[in-house]
Amino acid sequence: MPLASVYANDWLAIPVLLAVVVGGVYLVSVLDELFGEVVSGSRPNLGRSLRLPVRQAALLLCQSATRTEHPDRILWPVAPAAYAALAAAGMAVIPFAEGFAVADVRTGIVVFGAAEVLTFVAVYLHGWSANAPLALIGGYRSLVQGFSFMLLSMFVLIGVALPARSLSVGQIVEAQSGLWNVVRHPLGLPLFLVVGLGAALWGPLRLPDSRELAGGTVGEVSGPQRLAWEFARRAMLVSYAVMAASAFLGGYLGPWLPGPVWLLGKSVAMLAVFVALGHLVGRVRPERFMAQAWTVLLPLSFLDILIAGVEALP
Amino acid sequence: MNPETSLWTDLAFWAFGLAAVWYGWRVFRTDSMVRATFALLASFLNVGAIMVLLLAEYLGTALFFMMAVEMAVMAIFMVAFMMNPAGLNPMQMVHQHRFAIVAGAATFAGLAGLGFAVDFPDRPLIIAADTIQQLGFELMGSSMLVMQSIGVTLLATMIGAVVLSSKWGRYGDSDAGSVPPSLDPEQREEDRS
Repeated sequence: MPLASVYANDWLAIPVLLAVVVGGVYLVSVLDELFGEVVSGSRPNLGRSLRLPVRQAALLLCQSATRTEHPDRILWPVAPAAYAALAAAGMAVIPFAEGFAVADVRTGIVVFGAAEVLTFVAVYLHGWSANAPLALIGGYRSLVQGFSFMLLSMFVLIGVALPARSLSVGQIVEAQSGLWNVVRHPLGLPLFLVVGLGAALWGPLRLPDSRELAGGTVGEVSGPQRLAWEFARRAMLVSYAVMAASAFLGGYLGPWLPGPVWLLGKSVAMLAVFVALGHLVGRVRPERFMAQAWTVLLPLSFLDILIAGVEALP
Repeated sequence: MNPETSLWTDLAFWAFGLAAVWYGWRVFRTDSMVRATFALLASFLNVGAIMVLLLAEYLGTALFFMMAVEMAVMAIFMVAFMMNPAGLNPMQMVHQHRFAIVAGAATFAGLAGLGFAVDFPDRPLIIAADTIQQLGFELMGSSMLVMQSIGVTLLATMIGAVVLSSKWGRYGDSDAGSVPPSLDPEQREEDRS
């Protein structure tokens, strides 16, 4: 069957992916708690940080769900599920070890990009379907914010595909056996991290769900649906951390230790960077961020693709 | 291809095909601009999945994100410029019923009939063939002029739309001198006349 030569696909990778998502979501919550304690000056309490996410999740599960007047009965509860599913779909194209992926397809980074774009649609629909003004504004913010860095993310991902001469994430990882992409074109990783913060509505780019909108798209959401939304946001952060580790830091490649351990270590490091950014970088104003995304970040991504292209020339 | 794969492929094709038609129908049956927009997106996503089944993976996946962006743009602009605030109020999504029904049915019958009438070539695709690379050479090679012309035209259209809808212009604010309608109905009637 020639399919095997095109798709590195392993059914066993599906439970692994689910474990990575669930474990990653828990890890993000714990790290977030620990960083919060460090930043606020109190002594970090590991035991408390380990218990707190579970307690909060249990609390949300027991909470009653609020209702708004005439919400969209289908889209409102489906949006968090779609958001989480898109995080998993984006991660499905990433190999956890050599030849071990849910679907390391030929168009890997295009699939990842498509999942990212659909993420903004999911966030918008979540805000829209609540039928509440602040949630709606949050939803529109999500789209506008998405438009301002979608191109950026596409150029950055094309930048990592150039040296590999392939859109498959497996090939992109293999192409870094000599030199990691973060060294080849150093602009890519920071730009990709900005996109990751935006897609996971995290830290400075938590604009659609921000506090000055009284919670924005989640302003009217409580109970299990809220839990699903918070799970999905963290899952998206995990997806971007694993992708950043694979696309820029050589993924599963590394000496002495087995491949998955390397990928795990690099992904956790990326998650720590995301969580730290969430606590250390101040919130940006949506208008200002949009202007800077178009006038500063987008030209930087042009520069990134130029460096990657020149470097990739034979 | 081995028959096992082709059975699953057939099932998937029918599932995606029926879903595409179903969501396409929902576009006209729903009462909200936003629901219609994203029902159309769902229809396109199913068409994209069929293209992936046909091993046009790049085009299929590209259709996913192209249509997601386009429908999101539609959600912003069409809804923003309509009298129906944010697409939240129920509204009639169709006009010229009879003509639309006849035109839609005729087009569907014509295209579907074409599918039966045409003698399609039977050339099984070699799965390992590098179709994505071939597509790249096509787009950036012999079709370069067409693609570049379309690109520049679209860019000019977008810039034009932004300029036209911008509040700030060369001659000052576009809403300079305009006043919000009065809350008093009688005063509003006077203002209008």
